Amino acid sequence: MSKQTELDQLLRTVALSSEELTGFDRRSFLRNGLTLLGGAGLAAAAAADPGMPPNVPPWTKRLGSGVTTDPYGKPSPFEADVKRRTVEWLTADKIASISFTPLADLKGIVTPSGLVFERYHAGLPAIEPQQHRLMIHGMVKRPLILSMDDLMRFPSTSMIRFLECPANGGMEWRGAQMDRLQFSHGMLACCEWTGVLLSTLLEEVGIDKKASWILAEGADGSHMSRSIPMDKALDDALIVYAQNGEALRPEQGYPVRLINPGWEGNTCVKWLRRLEIGDKPWYHREETSKYTELMPDGRSREFSFVQECNSVVTSPSPEKPLTKPGKYWVEGLAWSGRGKIKRVDVSFDGGVSWRPTKFTSIVLPRALTRFGLEWDWDGSTALVQSRAVDETGYVQPTYTQLRDVRGSSSIYHKNAIHTWKIENNGGVRNVQIS
Amino acid sequence: MGGCAMSRSAKRLPRSVTIALSLTACLLGSSAVVAADKTGYYGYGLKATPEQIAGWDIDVRPDGKGLPPGSGSVEDGEYLYEEKCAECHGSFGEGVGKYPTLAGGEGSLRDDRPHKTVGSYWKYTSTLWDYIHRAMPFTQPESLGDDEVYALTAYVLYLNDLVEDDFVLTQENLSSIRLPNEGNFIPDARPDVTNKHCMKKCRNPADIKITSEAPAYVPEPKSEPVATGGSMAGAAGKPVFDQYCAICHASGVGGAPIVGDIEAWAPRIAQGMDQMVGHAVDGYQGDAGMMPAKGGFSQLSDEEVRQAVQAMVEASQ
Repeated sequence: MSKQTELDQLLRTVALSSEELTGFDRRSFLRNGLTLLGGAGLAAAAAADPGMPPNVPPWTKRLGSGVTTDPYGKPSPFEADVKRRTVEWLTADKIASISFTPLADLKGIVTPSGLVFERYHAGLPAIEPQQHRLMIHGMVKRPLILSMDDLMRFPSTSMIRFLECPANGGMEWRGAQMDRLQFSHGMLACCEWTGVLLSTLLEEVGIDKKASWILAEGADGSHMSRSIPMDKALDDALIVYAQNGEALRPEQGYPVRLINPGWEGNTCVKWLRRLEIGDKPWYHREETSKYTELMPDGRSREFSFVQECNSVVTSPSPEKPLTKPGKYWVEGLAWSGRGKIKRVDVSFDGGVSWRPTKFTSIVLPRALTRFGLEWDWDGSTALVQSRAVDETGYVQPTYTQLRDVRGSSSIYHKNAIHTWKIENNGGVRNVQIS
Repeated sequence: MGGCAMSRSAKRLPRSVTIALSLTACLLGSSAVVAADKTGYYGYGLKATPEQIAGWDIDVRPDGKGLPPGSGSVEDGEYLYEEKCAECHGSFGEGVGKYPTLAGGEGSLRDDRPHKTVGSYWKYTSTLWDYIHRAMPFTQPESLGDDEVYALTAYVLYLNDLVEDDFVLTQENLSSIRLPNEGNFIPDARPDVTNKHCMKKCRNPADIKITSEAPAYVPEPKSEPVATGGSMAGAAGKPVFDQYCAICHASGVGGAPIVGDIEAWAPRIAQGMDQMVGHAVDGYQGDAGMMPAKGGFSQLSDEEVRQAVQAMVEASQ
């Protein structure tokens, strides 16, 4: 047996024996064991990295746990830091507040249900599905009360669509202040939503010819309410009871919510209990005091429903810094409430020159779309931006263009081209440029 | 269903045409024939009765549609407001902490820091009535009587100098109380900006300056599974605390001792669990503020309250 083989065998023994110990015990055992072996930097490296060939890691040499150990599976415990987070100073308490989707760690275009941002106005209600009812009334021939079982008997439709709070990025109208992507763009998600087209239910109740607006109202303590124009209701509004293949998550409106694809998340009323058909909007709090945009002349825009074309680079980002000069796959997400994304370009010099990207996901209307391109980083400072164009030809605007028209007090609907500054150490900083 | 039956009007057409039309309709599916009215096509669910609708039909419109009979005075509103609203919104509607400001801000909408309140920003009085009725008080929605909602609406109008102190708001006069900012709302004007699609030499590099910079991102320490200390009751009480107690005990609203404030909790803990739980269950008027019975959440069992108190104590010593 050669000296090297002997050493390797001994190291494996040390490593495996130490598996039975935990924490401090294991570390000191390893240290002592390796000291005994003496003078081997190589050996220390090998023991510290049991997955590195030629080592065979311990999990390969023993049995794992059996089926149904965890009957409803969870992400690996090593992914525990991929989670929703909130920004404490934004709201008075956690009951009427918001949390953010960890966009930097997500892949593809579908947001896992447990990571979809939360927005509550009176906390998360604990609703018993058997007790929940959806009432449809007002200017209809046949006012209805539907149980969840009733609702699920109607023809079912699924669609992958983004969901975005119109206040997404709203903290940055006056300047960059969020330290990471999760907080600058994380009021955003994209899921497969399954339910009944609202148009089907409207046919079933028989709406009056003069009906033009619908009030959607939640069963939570805030009775969150929004007025929805009939055109949207008859187009693609969906009464949703499932998300990413399973029942809606409580945070997302269990057992049933409204989804207005491409529109303000706030109109997608959760824990939906009532739809009233009428001939005028209701002008409730969430469509007058909130979710209206104050313009520089002191007037405010109302019923600004659509989420316009937007995009952001998700890697690099503050959470995904660069390590050393070399080739990187730069990627991000683009979306538009007006339809499909047509193209996305990326700039590395603050918008002087742009490079086309390719789509790395399926391209669906009113859905997140993933783009990417290769970049050879030379180690110098760079200003990385993405600019999306949607199928209407609308080009995502700059901050300067938005502020010229809207000032900086409008809170909602900020869809400006976003800039990440790459520092020469590879760190990534959220900045705004002139 | 009868979607493929001959229609009455079709009978006037020659037989061959009629057959062709019927076949087309059948081939296209029944929708072409019954599109005119599919009311009750599936027949699922129950027809809602007027009584059932009345129980949930709480919405109010600017024209007064939906307002119930009733009235309330500024004077009655002041008493109610102090009792039920002031701890979050402040005695003068100035707002406590991050809770909404209700009054002031007149003429500030074009300022660099506009101040949006009922008086300076809201569009319709009906919105105020509707919102108080549907969502307030924050911890006890739908607990106010109709007259109380009229009185509180009147008082918030009074805080904004929109009515006199002897004013009485009623079902009949509410729509006639106009808010100052009503005329300043305009329809959505987007798309309102036009960016050019350009690929090369789109701007002069010398014009590019960093105008603002967010703080550097500092990764949080990696989480490691840590065994949680504390009792079973405390662990069970944590979700109750998060859902119900945190509103005040995380923020200090109404003089509530903040969880984690060891100094504030020490004298309370010294009184013993039974007394603390007793105060939490039955309510308590202290020097700093008032603890409503079960925090106003009467649906909580005594045991749930005890567990929540246990959780708060364990986090505050």
